[in-house]
Amino acid sequence: MVDVRLLDADEQGAGALHQLDALDLARRLPSLIVAAKEVAATVMHGVHGRRRAGAGETFWQFRPFVFGESTSRIDWRRSARDDRIYVREREWEAAHTVWIWCDRSASMGYVSGLALQPKLDRALMLGLALADLLVRGGERVGIPGLTRALASRNIVELLAERMIAESVRPGFAPAELPPADALAPRTQGVVISDFLSDPDDIAAVIRGMSARGALGHLVMIADPVEETFPFRGHTEFRDVDTTARLRVGEAESFRDDYVKRLALHREALRSAASSRGWSFIVHRTDRPASEALLGLRMRLEAGQGAPLRGSA
Amino acid sequence: MFGLPLAFAAPLVLAALAVLPAIWYLLRLTPPRPREVSFPPLRLILDLQAREETPARTPWWLLVLRLLLAAVIIVAMAGPIWNPTPAGDGKRGPLLVLLDDSWPAAPSWKERIASVTERIASATREGRTTALVPLSDGAREIAAGDATRANERLRTLKPVPHTVDRMLALPPIERFLSANADAEIVWIADGLASGRADEFADGLIKISGDTRVRVVTQDRTPVAIASSENAAGALEVSLMRADTRGQGSGVVRALDMKGLSIGEARFDFGAGRETKARFELPIELRNEIARVEIVDEKSAGATSLLDERWKRRRVGFVSGASADTSQPLLSPTYYLRRALTPFADVREVPSGRGDPILALLEDRLSVMVLADIGVVSGPAHDRLARFVQEGGVLLRFAGTRLASSSDDLVPVRLRRGGRVLGGSLSWESPKQLAPFPAESPLAGLNVPQEVTVTRQVLAEPDAGLPGKTWAQLVDGTPLVTAERRGKGLIVLVHVTADTTWSNLPLSGLFVDLLRRVVAMAGETGVADAGMGGETGAAPRIETVAPTRTLDGFGALGAPPLTARPIPVNFTGPPTAEFPPGFYGPSDALTAINTLAPTDRLELANLTASRFAMESLRRAEPLDLRPAIVAAAFLLLVADALASMWLAGGFDKLKPTRRRKGAAVAAFAVLLGLAAVATPHRAEAQPGPLESALRTRLAYVVTGDAQADEASRLGLGAVSRALANRTALTPGDPMGVDPGRDELAFYPLIYWPIVATRPQPSAEAVARIAAFMRQGGTVVFDTRDALTTRPGGAPTPEAQWLRLLLAGVDVPELEPVPRDHVVTKTFYLLDQFVGRTTVGQTWIEALPANGLEQVNRPARAGDSVSPIVITSNDLAAAWAADRNGNPLYPLVPGGHRQREMALRGGVNLVMYTLTGNYKADQVHVRDLLERLAH
Repeated sequence: MVDVRLLDADEQGAGALHQLDALDLARRLPSLIVAAKEVAATVMHGVHGRRRAGAGETFWQFRPFVFGESTSRIDWRRSARDDRIYVREREWEAAHTVWIWCDRSASMGYVSGLALQPKLDRALMLGLALADLLVRGGERVGIPGLTRALASRNIVELLAERMIAESVRPGFAPAELPPADALAPRTQGVVISDFLSDPDDIAAVIRGMSARGALGHLVMIADPVEETFPFRGHTEFRDVDTTARLRVGEAESFRDDYVKRLALHREALRSAASSRGWSFIVHRTDRPASEALLGLRMRLEAGQGAPLRGSA
Repeated sequence: MFGLPLAFAAPLVLAALAVLPAIWYLLRLTPPRPREVSFPPLRLILDLQAREETPARTPWWLLVLRLLLAAVIIVAMAGPIWNPTPAGDGKRGPLLVLLDDSWPAAPSWKERIASVTERIASATREGRTTALVPLSDGAREIAAGDATRANERLRTLKPVPHTVDRMLALPPIERFLSANADAEIVWIADGLASGRADEFADGLIKISGDTRVRVVTQDRTPVAIASSENAAGALEVSLMRADTRGQGSGVVRALDMKGLSIGEARFDFGAGRETKARFELPIELRNEIARVEIVDEKSAGATSLLDERWKRRRVGFVSGASADTSQPLLSPTYYLRRALTPFADVREVPSGRGDPILALLEDRLSVMVLADIGVVSGPAHDRLARFVQEGGVLLRFAGTRLASSSDDLVPVRLRRGGRVLGGSLSWESPKQLAPFPAESPLAGLNVPQEVTVTRQVLAEPDAGLPGKTWAQLVDGTPLVTAERRGKGLIVLVHVTADTTWSNLPLSGLFVDLLRRVVAMAGETGVADAGMGGETGAAPRIETVAPTRTLDGFGALGAPPLTARPIPVNFTGPPTAEFPPGFYGPSDALTAINTLAPTDRLELANLTASRFAMESLRRAEPLDLRPAIVAAAFLLLVADALASMWLAGGFDKLKPTRRRKGAAVAAFAVLLGLAAVATPHRAEAQPGPLESALRTRLAYVVTGDAQADEASRLGLGAVSRALANRTALTPGDPMGVDPGRDELAFYPLIYWPIVATRPQPSAEAVARIAAFMRQGGTVVFDTRDALTTRPGGAPTPEAQWLRLLLAGVDVPELEPVPRDHVVTKTFYLLDQFVGRTTVGQTWIEALPANGLEQVNRPARAGDSVSPIVITSNDLAAAWAADRNGNPLYPLVPGGHRQREMALRGGVNLVMYTLTGNYKADQVHVRDLLERLAH
């Protein structure tokens, strides 16, 4: 039988209330940061490595000078080559904002013998790697309700610090879902969670976040055990976020029901997401993180393109 | 129970086994705890709860385990006993225990005692009294008493070394039984017939009436030594056993008088009842054997004592007749050889090798036999006389040569010619032997009627003749005469050693006579009966007192109080009054053995048809309860582990950080405990390693707490002064034990002399000497400046020091001269003061002043003085507490004296470290001046 366990309260850094636990998270984050950067680097090179040839340029495009504009924006070197006057447009002006939110609730601290790492670690790693990737791609990244959108080069450290700072704050309890505040238009949201809440609640959050037209992506982190339900025999199941318990005589008889319910649940989430134009990815912790990151990156670019095109 | 030696103290508890099915049913109903699994997506299926809740079964093996556990606990509570004490036969009367305590009981004595103790205990549990009758003391009246009394009696009992007559016990038993008709009789028998066991058994059956007597015998019958014989070439030990249940094979060990093992020999009965073991040892070793015992058979019967009679003698004989080998039966040597060979080593010199007497006497003989040699003269005579004087036995046989002329080496004066009886020219018939006189050493020998004497030599009827006569003919003429000369003995047999004069050599008496005579060799210094000679009125020794006697286990020890001296010719079997053992003075011991050579071990007729036979159990009752409770506990642990496994509890044992921490803490605690438990030296002193790394002063730990404290504090103060004033920063002073610690690290060792302490070991002195030889300096402080008087007796401290230095290479010493470099090494000093100022300080004498050195202000030898002796108690003057406050009053006192003492200490240390450097340093000014020019 698969051996499962829940991370202890002190291991589950973001969910703890006291400082020690925050330090634990801090201890945990550097390795995650390194891992996140590594993952981000592979994805970057894998998708559009040569596109960023001549790195360091923030140049985006030249466009003809329009009278009435500030003359200080004219690029004289370019303009000297022919008779027109050009204005240099910079990339940052076109930067988009991506809001990344990672679930740090108790249920995320779940790991089975089949998984590579706990769901929480995978979610944080994925989130930070995505942040790194995006910032290096010129986007701005923030955590809704925690930071503003930032484009710092050390975005990973910044976000991690903010998360630690938050978890150290007295009275902090990790939420299962992001705040349902509407994101600004033309921004994108990424919610990384196990989404084991009520689908209606999740749909409400999606509605709230996308109220002003923001697009988003749901990444469902799942432990392999949560998909395969490899339990047998006399078993008492214990919920993680609540105190619910279920004692069953023969666990194997529950498998089919569980798989069915899980499929229904995911279907509900998928439809809730797609109804607002959001995407929905399921990522299992026994798969490499880069896989999810790559998928996420593709979707983000697709999502990025659509509103741009739409607004253009 | 079930043929097994198993019984239960509370068998009724076993009825509880009947509830096992009920337990089985209950166990089936209560399954083990389920596995507990955390499962975040649980809320997806929380509403499915009502479905398919089949009760889980307890696994069959867990069921078996728990039923076994219950059964084991029930069995344990029933009090199982392995090898239980056999229950009584239901009698309510007293228990009568008849205990055979003769030597056959000794090998199994422990089991016997244990068996009796058990029976007494079991009778006591049933509220019955006990009467214990050791059959060696059977004539005593029997009274039943409680267990304490019987046990006390039992503890005092030891097996006796002799055979006891059991019949003596029968009348008191009869009287006891008539008073207590319902008594239970147990006879712990040794199973042997000796001691009238069969009669006793019959009597016991008769008087016990309808009560069936229980007879307890051991399984292994005893093995005994019947006799031992010092035969030619080997000591032969005859062993016997009662039946084949006895020890079949084993080892016989021969011991000397001191109990040291001389040799061992194997024996093997095979299927028989008798066997022999042979000690093939040189004769000298064999003669040392005083005791032969069977290894692993501790009883008096398995021990045979050997005295002088078993010693084998070396006998040489010379015949006056010409050696005629063609007719051996006519040669006297033939009879002598045949008669002597069984018990003596016979030496004979082939003819033609010079003087045979001289040649034989070279051979360390015990007995010299001269057959028909008339006159021994010249060097042979002197040598023979000395041989007799030094303790040899000279046995002479008559013959025609002796009859014609004799020398002085005969016990009596002989009449020339002798007499002829029953010859053709004689009208007397051949004479027979008279019985031996009672005082003769030959007394007790059988006098065969067929021995006749036809011719003999006659002794002159001198005054002492009757006292010298050992044997005589029926008409009173002496046949054997003897005389003691010096330590030795001369015996003359008045007939020939062959059959020409008498048929004595053909009779058994001849052998016995030779044996007696040969046995006397070596019995020097014993005024034996009939050996009066000139002192014919010597007192007769009637009895000899016991020297060391055997106990029942066959161990020699001091004779018991009841032992009495034996008559000289005691032959009968040993009794309580005459226990087996050695009797007489230590140089002429008489051995009395438990068994006579003719004794045989026979089994008593103790059959199951007449008695209730029981075996003497070697196994003690074993309470199985602890073992079974332990098994139950193990089963309980197994059950707990199994339950835990079923509930998935092992997953929780994954080493999390917190548990790791706990494990580390527990390990640390264990380590700490181990460290505490490990013995280590309690002093919080720097070890040798620290000493090696840093220069520090040392003092010898004398064992006197006050002196050691003063040394420690004093050297500490000097060390601080050195650190403050000089370039040297020494470490904390070190207390050393010269016998144990390595001294090489210390430049200077301070040794306060405490006269009351014992001198250090020779090894410690050797190490001190080595330390001084290798350049170390020892400062001896006798601390006796106030008690010593010039010209007076040395103080105890001075004596102690002299004694110590006796083993040390001490150079020539002198009082510290004013120009010695030690007075200039750091401070300029006149003298070395301590707590006192009057004492003299001695140091190695410097070489004599050369002319060129006269004007030098400082002198030094080639090396540092290995020894400084002072009496001013330096350490006490230096000693100061942490704040620098002095601890000991000074004489006469004052701060300046203390300062000067410290300066002296600084100078001493600098001297040991710098040597003669300062002596050269005083020339610096001259050198500089020379360089400047």
